[in-house]
Amino acid sequence: MKATRDIKTPLPNRLGIKGWAWAGRYKIERYLYTLHRITGVGLAAYIFIHLIANGFRLGGEDSWEGIMSAFSNPGIKFGEYLVMTAFIIHALNGGRLILQHMGFTLGKPKPPIYPYVDSMRRRRPLTWIMLAVMAALAIYVLVEFVISGA
Amino acid sequence: MRETHFKFLQYLTGIGIFFLVGLHLLISHLGSGEPTEWSSVSQRATSAGWLTIYILILVFGIYHVMHGVRGIILEFSFPQSAVKTLNWALVVIGIAIFGYAVYIPINAYIV
Repeated sequence: MKATRDIKTPLPNRLGIKGWAWAGRYKIERYLYTLHRITGVGLAAYIFIHLIANGFRLGGEDSWEGIMSAFSNPGIKFGEYLVMTAFIIHALNGGRLILQHMGFTLGKPKPPIYPYVDSMRRRRPLTWIMLAVMAALAIYVLVEFVISGA
Repeated sequence: MRETHFKFLQYLTGIGIFFLVGLHLLISHLGSGEPTEWSSVSQRATSAGWLTIYILILVFGIYHVMHGVRGIILEFSFPQSAVKTLNWALVVIGIAIFGYAVYIPINAYIV
């Protein structure tokens, strides 16, 4: 019997897309992973809509003004706010992931003295700071872009 | 290239997008004036600086999106042959989108 599995055969993803939302006692970082996915897919969809809208520029002024007037309604304005908020969330969480994956937030090694503190808990202050900055920027954009710009 | 190199490029393009899109949003949409008016759009279209920024956003953005989508799809375990097909399909789709998207600012800059 083979002791190890063939690495070319991937392990089955038993949970599928449901695993993004729930697979037991998820911590805040796991929900940030889900939020990163959702905002990423949302931003990708927005980029394609944005590129299609940009294509109307090729039709000249009338074509451009036509699509822009179709876009000037409160629903689109709210959608633009969601896009900007998604950008803030995706960018800040992406920055946190880069810092963690590159090992910048690991801190100095410590002797394992009880009660043990795992690496996730040691990094948690960074997560809370990032969430506070996210919330502040989302409120700033809401006031500056939506409320003042309305 | 190894997976780690592709992942590292994902980080680099993400950082690039952050600064370039941030610049685009700050100057175009959060600054004074109406950025979507035809006169404003036409003025930006004549700028080589804006053209460069748009092309860089497209290169970084399309790589970042395609690699991100690949990462999501690959979570749903596929055999190695299907992964190769997926890789090539994403490359072709990415190049096609880039071709369409880059034509718009280049056409506006030339005409």
